[in-house]
Amino acid sequence: MAAVMSQDIGPGDMPWRIWHNPEACLACGACVATCTFGAIYATLPLPLAGHAEGTGPAPAKPLIRQKAGTANACTGCGMCAKVCPAGAIEPKFNPDNRWSLVARKNGPIKRGGRSALPMPRTLDSIVVGRISQMTDPALDSERHTFDLRAPLGRVLLPRDIPLKTNGDNLLISGKTPPVRWIYPLIFSDMSIGALSTRAWEAMILATAYLNEQCGMPVRMCSGEGGMPQKLLESERIKYMIIQIASGHFGWNRIIAAMPRMKADPAAILIKIGQGAKPGDGGLLPAAKVAPHIQAIRGVPRTTLHSPPNHQGLYSIEESVQKMHLSLNAAFGFRVPVAVKCAASATSVSVYNNLLRDPYNICGGFFLDGIMGGTGAANAVSLDHTGHPIVSKLRDCYRAAVNLGLQGRIPLWAGGGVGLGGDAAADAFKLICLGADGVFVGRLLIQLLGCIGNEQGRCNACNTGRCPTGICTQDMRLVQRLDVDRGAQAIVDYMLAFDAEMRKLMAPVGNSSLPVGRADALVSTDRAVADILGIQYAC
Amino acid sequence: MLRINTLDGNGRMSTQALLQTIASAVENGETEFHISASGQHDIGGPLWNREGRSLNFTVVNPGQRVGSMCMPNTTITVEGSVPADAGWLNSGGTVTVRGDAGDTAGHCAASGRIYIGGRAGARAGSLMKHDPQCAEPELWILKSTGSFSFEFMGGGRAIICGQDSQTLPSVLGERPCVGMVGGIVYFRGPHHDLPPDVQLMPLDAEDIAWLDRGLDSFLAAIAAPKLKRELSFWKHWHKLVPAGDGQAANTVSMSGFHAENWFEAGLFGDILPDDQTVLPLVPTGSARMNEPVWNNIQEKCNDCRICLKNCPQAAIKRREDQGLKYSSNARRCTGCGICVAVCPRQIWQLKPLPAL
Repeated sequence: MAAVMSQDIGPGDMPWRIWHNPEACLACGACVATCTFGAIYATLPLPLAGHAEGTGPAPAKPLIRQKAGTANACTGCGMCAKVCPAGAIEPKFNPDNRWSLVARKNGPIKRGGRSALPMPRTLDSIVVGRISQMTDPALDSERHTFDLRAPLGRVLLPRDIPLKTNGDNLLISGKTPPVRWIYPLIFSDMSIGALSTRAWEAMILATAYLNEQCGMPVRMCSGEGGMPQKLLESERIKYMIIQIASGHFGWNRIIAAMPRMKADPAAILIKIGQGAKPGDGGLLPAAKVAPHIQAIRGVPRTTLHSPPNHQGLYSIEESVQKMHLSLNAAFGFRVPVAVKCAASATSVSVYNNLLRDPYNICGGFFLDGIMGGTGAANAVSLDHTGHPIVSKLRDCYRAAVNLGLQGRIPLWAGGGVGLGGDAAADAFKLICLGADGVFVGRLLIQLLGCIGNEQGRCNACNTGRCPTGICTQDMRLVQRLDVDRGAQAIVDYMLAFDAEMRKLMAPVGNSSLPVGRADALVSTDRAVADILGIQYAC
Repeated sequence: MLRINTLDGNGRMSTQALLQTIASAVENGETEFHISASGQHDIGGPLWNREGRSLNFTVVNPGQRVGSMCMPNTTITVEGSVPADAGWLNSGGTVTVRGDAGDTAGHCAASGRIYIGGRAGARAGSLMKHDPQCAEPELWILKSTGSFSFEFMGGGRAIICGQDSQTLPSVLGERPCVGMVGGIVYFRGPHHDLPPDVQLMPLDAEDIAWLDRGLDSFLAAIAAPKLKRELSFWKHWHKLVPAGDGQAANTVSMSGFHAENWFEAGLFGDILPDDQTVLPLVPTGSARMNEPVWNNIQEKCNDCRICLKNCPQAAIKRREDQGLKYSSNARRCTGCGICVAVCPRQIWQLKPLPAL
């Protein structure tokens, strides 16, 4: 047996330790067989006299041991515990780990998922405190007709709408920018590549079901990984917000499909940055660049980095001029074009500039906060860069109000919406603070079955070894995902979301979304109340 | 018979003074009242005679809530129309309005009868209910109701005769019966905008017999017996009853939607064939993460068969027809590596399998 040296990596250095109870263990091997990270193995207790010759007594029951080292580190995903028929194994978080010291051996730590340094959520210190009680009647959440629609597209000031009268009829006499009135929650951009084909298909299946069976006009953003050819050439392209990011992956196929498009997409979203890793470009590790991904994106099997900037854009004005104008023009000025940025100390400057857009070609500002998720990033970006969404959204809204231009360029907020599980509460509060709607990504994969969390569990989206088949292109694992069950879970959640939105709108007395109705909110945190301009309550 | 005239020159009796006058008269055994009101509220209930004799009121020009909280043995007849809440919370009285009734007539009525000889306003009969200790409440309306009628109705019967209302878009107003969970609404004439909470049905023989009897009493109360013939063409009538919880279940399942409405061969079928087989978390075959290999290059295997005995899937095969050979059956083997662990001579080795 090799001697153990002081500087060797041992189980005590690992972030997760495998707890195993050999007395309960049935030695069925299910835990080892299911582990996609190769983090555990079966072995015999030592010493076993005579066993080496195969002549001794029947060997003792095998033990399950954890591999030490960075290559096969346990991620705490817990699949071993899930499959164990005897409750004999479980990963437990190791608070004494030295992981952040030993894991940089091969360069920066790469990780998917989300920040592992969760900060208190501003939204949790806010409650809907302005309830209609004798001042005005609350609405009946179950039976009142509510209008849960949000704009995506440039909304003109009444005085700018080219109206004329023809006898008793009011006509629109000139060109107006396209506006879609859609459901106030967008399935946000997770690419084909970051997600498995099945996970992506489950999302669009749920989108189609919600539109066609439930009357909910939910829209889904493609992410920066191109679009399936079949979807491009289907009427269902109208459910899609097609993303263009700095890598422009898949856009040659999107452009080539234009003559065969049966409908216009819902919108185009120019991704400048994302909240989980602002100032950093997209990253698709080679392990996930399977042949079909290579085909859609037009690249070889290698780690795909998107630049942090759209190369060729050097200013906000140029962004409007080049990206907005070109994408408006590409779809005949019939499709709204919006832009997504990571929330930043500079977001208000960007929004102010966009609001001055004289061509009415900016159709939405998507602001993505620090608590968003990602398929892969350097851990240092995930944990230490970004900007909380709540105050920055509020700043942008108030900047628009100061110009008298609120509601003209719809504000969509994301980055941690639904983090506590209650997306409706988060959405409602953000809408009261000025958002027109919200977008969610990670919530959807959690509904599909992702078991990652903010306490560092799994978050191995970057490895290609996703144990739930959601963030991998390895068909062995992709086949673990039941598309129908996943889509059903998303639909069920959305129907509950819809009912919960009504439960929040009703006591405030709003039939339509209470955009900017910050008077409906109170905060139990004085600083939060002050910075958001809402009532402090205790 | 106590006659009360609530106007004295320019002076008007307050609601409070009128109600106290009536209450003390009832206390002193008076049972017959004729009240010339001037908009005083709450006339008619809750009142009762100590000996259980019936109380009879004839009222002209009452204010709101005439006959509200009305008790059994109380009969109220109003000559002309009334404002809101006639018969609100009726608990057993018979309240007759010979003209129109305002909004929320019969709201929360739980027993007794309310007869309206004209139209009723918005939210007529909302939240009517049936207390099983009492006879079920009835709300008869000669003409039509305003919108939101019979919201949240939980019991009792409402009858809208649709007289002089057949050209209206709906004799039940807009959005009737929202949230209705019990009782029956009978109506004659057009309807629209019915919510999923209710189902529309034709009358059966029992309904007709019940309506036929009740209609006589109703028309007698509102002094319009001649309308019987016009109103008793029963095929012009329908009834609304709660749809029950079964109705909402009529949705397409996700697998049905996927099978019937989706892209042929799947959304990615052109670049990545996928038969949508769903694999369990413990894999076999090519879905395994690892595969055990019997690597007996140095021929150290002493054929102890410990691997055979310990394999949890009984996946290990032993042959000796062409020399000793162990192998694992990929259809059973999960790649767990128990064979590797128990082999005394490290013949079995675990080999990672490539991604599919």
